[in-house]
Amino acid sequence: MFPCTPPGTGIYDEMLLQDGSVREHYAAYWKWLNQRPLEEMERKRREAELLFHRVGITFAVYGESRGTERLIPFDSLPRIIPAQEWSALEEGIRQRVLALNMFLHDIYHDQRIIREGRLPAEQVFGNAHYQPCMQDVNLPNDIYAQISGVDLIRDDSGNWFVLEDNLRTPSGVSYMIENRRMMMRLFPELFSTNPVAPVDHYPSLLLETLQQGSFVSHPNVVLLTPGRYNSAYFEHAFLAQQMGIELVEGADLFVKDGHVFMRTTAGPQRVDVIYRRIDDDYLDPLAFRQDSALGVPGLLSVYREGNVAIANAVGTGVADDKSIYPYVPDMIRFYLDEEPILHNVPTWQCRNPKELDHVLHHLPDLVVKEVHGAGGYGMLVGPASTAEQIAQFRERLKARPDNYIAQPTLSLSTCPIFTAAGIAPRHIDLRPFVLSGRDIRMVPGGLTRVAMQQGSLVVNSSQGGGTKDTWVLEEPSC
Amino acid sequence: MRLTIEHRTEYRYEQEVAHSTQYLRLTPKSSAQQRVLSWDLDMPEQASRSTDAFGNVLHVLTLDRPHDSISITARGEVDISDVLLESEEQRLSPLVFQRFTPITRADQEIKDFAARFSGQRSVSQMAALSAALIEKMPYTPGSTIVTSTAAEAFHAGSGVCQDHAHVFLSCCRVLGIPARYVSGYLCTDDSNHVASHAWAEVWLDGVWQTVDVTNQVITPSHHLKLAVGLDYLDACPVRGVRYGGGIESMHAFALVERSEVPAEQ
Repeated sequence: MFPCTPPGTGIYDEMLLQDGSVREHYAAYWKWLNQRPLEEMERKRREAELLFHRVGITFAVYGESRGTERLIPFDSLPRIIPAQEWSALEEGIRQRVLALNMFLHDIYHDQRIIREGRLPAEQVFGNAHYQPCMQDVNLPNDIYAQISGVDLIRDDSGNWFVLEDNLRTPSGVSYMIENRRMMMRLFPELFSTNPVAPVDHYPSLLLETLQQGSFVSHPNVVLLTPGRYNSAYFEHAFLAQQMGIELVEGADLFVKDGHVFMRTTAGPQRVDVIYRRIDDDYLDPLAFRQDSALGVPGLLSVYREGNVAIANAVGTGVADDKSIYPYVPDMIRFYLDEEPILHNVPTWQCRNPKELDHVLHHLPDLVVKEVHGAGGYGMLVGPASTAEQIAQFRERLKARPDNYIAQPTLSLSTCPIFTAAGIAPRHIDLRPFVLSGRDIRMVPGGLTRVAMQQGSLVVNSSQGGGTKDTWVLEEPSC
Repeated sequence: MRLTIEHRTEYRYEQEVAHSTQYLRLTPKSSAQQRVLSWDLDMPEQASRSTDAFGNVLHVLTLDRPHDSISITARGEVDISDVLLESEEQRLSPLVFQRFTPITRADQEIKDFAARFSGQRSVSQMAALSAALIEKMPYTPGSTIVTSTAAEAFHAGSGVCQDHAHVFLSCCRVLGIPARYVSGYLCTDDSNHVASHAWAEVWLDGVWQTVDVTNQVITPSHHLKLAVGLDYLDACPVRGVRYGGGIESMHAFALVERSEVPAEQ
């Protein structure tokens, strides 16, 4: 048998049961793996690393020495989701993203959810990500988040929870695609014996979604990147190339006569849709941060007139903010008159004195996050912190309680990875990518992120996390 | 009262500018307080007109050929009524104006000062805040620069209308009262006085109430409003970005005069 470290007790493992036997949907893979010597898998691991270096998949890490680029660790043991489980998840994700887009349309128009008392007004209008410039701006199909990344985790019983909704510029989809390509290259035989649902058509779905987000019929679409020093620059270049559209920086675009133009060697060319991978704050130095050299002066005025589409829309950040997250299940009830299919992680809002009190008394057991934070920065993982770290965080929390929320430390499910000594369990999450145009479309699965250190719960690539290929097994056709 | 306005803004650049884009908020809107009779903008090229987030008239001027100066002149005639309160169809929630911006962020000094005016939310309380503020930071041209923040000006203990408005907004926001920046013109009897002006409006009892800290006025009768926003950057008459040009010199000239109003028929 392939050398194997069993899953930890009280933790849900995607592949193995507590008694060491394998879950049914992993049976075929497990059989295949047990015919492989450990050395072969180690050789494949080195081959994958070499290939990724050649493709150039890297990730710049903030806080390390300037210009550091690092390979995101890739693990070749797939995370497998059975078809039935996926279809239930997919239904839940669609429901959630639909409600979130309806929420954004509502708060930027009639604000029904506030007038009917379901959400405190100051939670929305006092939020720095609520953009006054979006009031009464009409968008094609009333869609604000064309591209969403919904982060999902499972607890020790295997129940799914939404950890956060990413509605600004979610990244990682290039790894989903490249991981699959790598797996097909390393282990082609696996794909003839396992009915793995394809993901390679994501770029064409994305392009269709972006085109549907325009008021014109044959729109010129570009991808706006902050440039090569951005941590996700590889992904920007990758997606532009896959979609066959121009990759541009702010200085390549300008505004004139109420439209946006791209400078080309053949003269100015009109731009109809901008898939932007820069934050709201940097889009237009005349409307937002004036020190931004990344954006396009005048862009907001063209956007408000409906003469250019921006994906995702300006102002989506108010809906994926951690202070709004606790209200999402009720949004689903309010806008869709349905019960939420996917659950939220229980959340304490530290701005409420009672909830703050609870959090302060249970810090060693909780995860505390900044309300506007992302990428795993500025958070406390109680059980993994020293008494000193907790004491320091307590002071920060007391100084600005409204800046924090807290959640129980969920164990997160594990999935084995390959190590030098055989396979061993590591914690994972799942980020499916959701495309909202005239309808909602997804490719099966998404990006599985892995905390590569034993016992670690932090899966963010900015914090040293790795990735895996994610398989949704289609029902075998009879 | 009828006002005639001429407002010229000139930019000169040491070197040629390759490309520039300006947001112009140089066109007043008619409202209960003011009726615009005529208004024209003279610019080097045609600008596209739209409305911004706060309902202001916005012109976007792009010059995409080399230039070493830009001259913009606004001219018009406006009737100012003695209606005290501004009527406005604004769908944007006033709560948005409770938000701090980088310029209006309150430091501990401002927080402590504002705390003296907590309690009742009334026009008289706002007038008291305004009076205490002008005493704390007297009108002193040249004591601050255009990019000074509320905290910097308050700490310096002096400022111009822009600083007065910013500190006032900062205090209101500390107190949880929505308040907004107003850019416009003031007609004064002293013709040497700079006619471009800035003041504040606070949201009290469902209306925007004027507070002009610099002139200690809460009943505007000589104020012509151009634009409103969270702070100077949202409402300033000209805001631009340019590529190239080197050192810039700016000259603004604004003249506001009372003109004869024909007797009512």
